[in-house]
Amino acid sequence: MNLLALEFPPVNHLFDWPSIWFEGTPYAINKTVLIYLGSVLATMLLFGLAGRQRESLVPAGVQHVAESGVNFIEESVVMQTIGPDGKKFMPFLTTMFFFILFSNITEVIPFIQFPANSRMAIPVTLALLVWVIYNFVGVRSQGLFGYLKNSLFPPGVPWPLYLIVTPIELVSTFVVRPFSLAIRLWANMVAGHLLLVTFAVLSAAMWASGGVGYGGALILSFPMLILMTGFEILVSVLQAFIFTILTAVYIGGSMHPEH
Amino acid sequence: MTATIRRLAGAFGLIGVLLVLGAVPASAAGETIGTCVFEEILHAEEEFGSLHVLEEPAHKKDLVKFEEDLEKCVEAPSPIFPELDEIIWGGAAFLILFGFMWWKGFPAVQRAMQARSDKIAADLDAAEQAKTEATTVLADHEAQLAGAKAEAAQIVEDARAQADLVAAEIQARANEEVAQMRARAAADIESARSQAVSDLRGVVADIAVGAAERVIKSNLDVDTQRALVDAYIDEVASGNA
Repeated sequence: MNLLALEFPPVNHLFDWPSIWFEGTPYAINKTVLIYLGSVLATMLLFGLAGRQRESLVPAGVQHVAESGVNFIEESVVMQTIGPDGKKFMPFLTTMFFFILFSNITEVIPFIQFPANSRMAIPVTLALLVWVIYNFVGVRSQGLFGYLKNSLFPPGVPWPLYLIVTPIELVSTFVVRPFSLAIRLWANMVAGHLLLVTFAVLSAAMWASGGVGYGGALILSFPMLILMTGFEILVSVLQAFIFTILTAVYIGGSMHPEH
Repeated sequence: MTATIRRLAGAFGLIGVLLVLGAVPASAAGETIGTCVFEEILHAEEEFGSLHVLEEPAHKKDLVKFEEDLEKCVEAPSPIFPELDEIIWGGAAFLILFGFMWWKGFPAVQRAMQARSDKIAADLDAAEQAKTEATTVLADHEAQLAGAKAEAAQIVEDARAQADLVAAEIQARANEEVAQMRARAAADIESARSQAVSDLRGVVADIAVGAAERVIKSNLDVDTQRALVDAYIDEVASGNA
């Protein structure tokens, strides 16, 4: 793709990775799958090492990272959105947060440089899983009739407004939520990866052109690339947090409709 | 302080290296249309020997596939549709991870956090207990000190009273002794006086005898006799004085 005299790779080539093993089968392994597996290993390693009993009063290293994560999920996610009842969802939410985080952060890890969540597979799978969970929790907490009533006819709304509110709530709660959850994560990671590739290609092209291009690459495009790399670290953490807290909000709403 | 600065400098250095390293080969993730087409041609040539072979009717299907592969180089299939293999692997990976976290990872970390929290609470309780004990001991010591002070004051007071008593006793004894001495002195005086009187009587008797002798020797009237006796007595008294 030729854009303003720059040879830019086609977008599908930035995200669609060829199979490495089992090509042509439903269980083919490509770079995205390897990142998923790496995220699983990283999370297991983190919690496996952190869970070893130690006598130290002040946690350090991986123990500090894992405990801070658990504490963060408990205080900033569960207690803020569900309350003490939500502590039983802590393992699920913690797993989700770290899995998404590690799958995102590969975007800026040298020689990997690809966010696995810029592929739709995991965002949509997790979003559908969340949809099943919060609906199950809602039916279990309020009963099928109560859950539907509270979801479609929010209390405190003047009854004529139900003509407008109920269809909106129906579409919003049961149809749009999982897709908005998935697309938010996916689109952010796609945009981040495109930004990084854009500035990387620009830097390479300017440097290759020589002369004024050296200055342009050193002063403009490469510093921007470094800046964007730092920004994408923030986005990776933030998107993992947003996905997790929205999951908790949906579960909390199903458990406590009065909120 | 120095260690903190060293750590901060190390952290910033590491972040800097990661940012630069992370930034440099970002474009390696993708490929250009040219390289894609070139790779497809190379692949076809490796498979068929020459691209002209594909023009033969026998390789019509291969030609169609080759053309499709070339078109894929410029086509961008919608990235919004997830791939089945990635869903299977990603979903399985997440479920395995969730199983591990549910069974082992999360409870272990939570136990470690709870153990630390319990230890801190126990240490705080122990410190509180030690403080209470120290306060009790301090209060005991202060009470003992106050008792000792009161006791000392009592002892001093008793000693003072005892001293006063002893002083009064000594005073009384001294007074008594003085009185006794006085009495003895008075008795002595009385005794001396009695003795003197007795002696005087003896002398008086002698004088009387002497005076009588004189009276007898000269016949005098009563007044003269009395005068003689008085004169004699005065004489004796002045002689004794």
